[in-house]
Amino acid sequence: MRAVSTAETATTIHPWAIQAEALKVRAGRHLAVDGLDLSLATGVHGLLGRNGAGKTTLMRALATVLKPAGGRLTLLGSSVDGRADLRQARRALGYLPQHFGYYPRFTVREFVSYLAWLKEMPKRDIPAATQRAIDRVGLSAKADARLRTLSGGMLRRAGVAQAIVNDPQVLLLDEPTVGLDPEQRLDLRELLRDLGTDACVLVSTHLVEDVVAACTEVVLINEGRLVWQGTPAALAEQGDEHHPGDSPAERGYSALLRRHLAEAAR
Amino acid sequence: MSVLGIELRRSAAAGAALLALAVGVAALYTAPGRWSQGWMSLTLTVKEYMILLWPIALAAGAWQGRREHRAKVGELFATTPRSRASRMLPVLVAMGASVGLAFLLVVAAGGMRIASTAAYFPPDVVAITLVGALSLVAAAWLGLGIGRLLPTLVTAPVLAVAGVLLVFFTAIMRPDWMGAILSPAYGSSPFYAFQTIDPRVTAVLALFMGGLALTGVLLLVARGRRASVAAVLPVLLGFGVAAAIVPRDEAALVAPVDPVARELVCTDDAPKVCVTRVNANVLDALTPLARQGLAVLAKMPDAPTQVYEDRRAYLIEDAPARDADIVTIVVRIDDHGGLAHPDAVVPEMVFGLGTGYGNPECERNGAVERAAAYHLLGREPVSDVGVIPEMIEEEPQLNAEAVTLWQGLQKLPAPEAMSRVTAVRDAILACQDPTGLLSR
Repeated sequence: MRAVSTAETATTIHPWAIQAEALKVRAGRHLAVDGLDLSLATGVHGLLGRNGAGKTTLMRALATVLKPAGGRLTLLGSSVDGRADLRQARRALGYLPQHFGYYPRFTVREFVSYLAWLKEMPKRDIPAATQRAIDRVGLSAKADARLRTLSGGMLRRAGVAQAIVNDPQVLLLDEPTVGLDPEQRLDLRELLRDLGTDACVLVSTHLVEDVVAACTEVVLINEGRLVWQGTPAALAEQGDEHHPGDSPAERGYSALLRRHLAEAAR
Repeated sequence: MSVLGIELRRSAAAGAALLALAVGVAALYTAPGRWSQGWMSLTLTVKEYMILLWPIALAAGAWQGRREHRAKVGELFATTPRSRASRMLPVLVAMGASVGLAFLLVVAAGGMRIASTAAYFPPDVVAITLVGALSLVAAAWLGLGIGRLLPTLVTAPVLAVAGVLLVFFTAIMRPDWMGAILSPAYGSSPFYAFQTIDPRVTAVLALFMGGLALTGVLLLVARGRRASVAAVLPVLLGFGVAAAIVPRDEAALVAPVDPVARELVCTDDAPKVCVTRVNANVLDALTPLARQGLAVLAKMPDAPTQVYEDRRAYLIEDAPARDADIVTIVVRIDDHGGLAHPDAVVPEMVFGLGTGYGNPECERNGAVERAAAYHLLGREPVSDVGVIPEMIEEEPQLNAEAVTLWQGLQKLPAPEAMSRVTAVRDAILACQDPTGLLSR
């Protein structure tokens, strides 16, 4: 077990936290991400797309779980192909998978501490960082409860706590609001806005209202390619009353997708 | 909150250790007479219980080894910078330390009982105990590796059963040297109190278990099929080196003798009574009884004048030549480390009429010998059942015949009766059938 120096964990500012060029990623045999170009800087980015659009595959590639099958992927200035660079990038990464696995016998505090250790945080910083992450997701009262005793929403928040324990520069949250009640969703949106002030946060979700409320930018993908990228306000402007959807942003989302599908069909 | 501390609390380590400790101590205290004789008896008995402890450690490791698969944390953990080897270190230490410590505590639990009575501490005990602990560590680590490789619900119970069979069959397998390498329980069957395990046998077991432990570690941290296949190299290497240096002679493999434990410790005054060093704590209790037995035998001419504990290593040595001055007795130790069956000491000394180990090829007559012995003891013969500790059944007419012969002796003048008893002893020594010598 190698000690991690302060220099190795020091924050470096990169113009683009995430940069993908003609990125291709396979999900099994299927090319789920197929020539994606995407650049994301500090801020909260909402990743939208239909089921099967490649959102989760993209998140897994950005989280370094899946290797790119083609193109180029850079996290915090480091190519994810180089092993040493990968280690450096992973120290600055936070990830909540769509299906969050956990050790049910661990308490919230133990699991978050364990993840902090896996992220090679300096040992002396782990207790305080763990407490701060638990506080930020509103689980302080359940810090010493075993994970198996928590509700679905609490587990999701524990998942967010482990993702943010290392103050990541790149935070990837796949469906973070699943199982949360309305009040908890509001709290999470506030947390995301806070985190987005000095980190690149990418939130994959089906809920357009979460994106509008919490994100500074929207990324829309379909069939593994970038369809549209812009602010939530710009997204709302894309729609008109002929398109279904309850809110302006949802109408804009539907309009963009319909236009894209129509162009693809030509 | 250290990660090792978390693993100690939340992994299967503590449960496995407690289970091993409970099973080991329960097995020990179910039959304390098996190991109350001393430290080596205790160590060999605990080693014999490897048939229970080793599978527990193996199965617990396998249960723990499938934790990541069961909890589906693989994706999350794969995004962290810590290497798999580094990630596995705390659980390896937690499991290894817990089951290793459990083994030492089982030995310690027995040791508390015999500490005040055990007269001799053989140095071999330390190495055998440490290698026993290593064997459990190897089982736990191997289980971790297999559990990770085959993360199914049935892996742990199947390994538990396989572990029992493995320990049992490797302990009795032929050739012996192979069992000495492979079995954590090899050489643990107790035959005599001064038995030991040859240090070379302990060393080769340590080599093999070390290889097995390393194989378990590599299986646990391996990335890819090739690395998993390559993980068997340490255990093969361990076996190869062990096979090159393991002793092949029976004297080293089959119940070898600790010569220091077998040394005689004797009374300073006459008549001399001697016991082996390992039983030295019962010398004071034995001496008056042994001298009483000598006094009974002394009614015959040329009777023995000293009592020695029977210290034959009958598995590997022939009986020594008879010394007419010495009568040998079996020293038995009770559950608390004291002299067992003191009432049997004098009868057992007299039953052989001081003839020594005897020749199994010679004709004997139990009724004649019993009548002669009870004549010396001055009381009517009774069945050996209830007198000789291990005797549980005998022919009913044997004692009836002995009583008849004894009654005949009682009717004779004392010198004539003693002459006939002496004739029986001399016939035994001359390998002649003593039938009819009391009733001629």
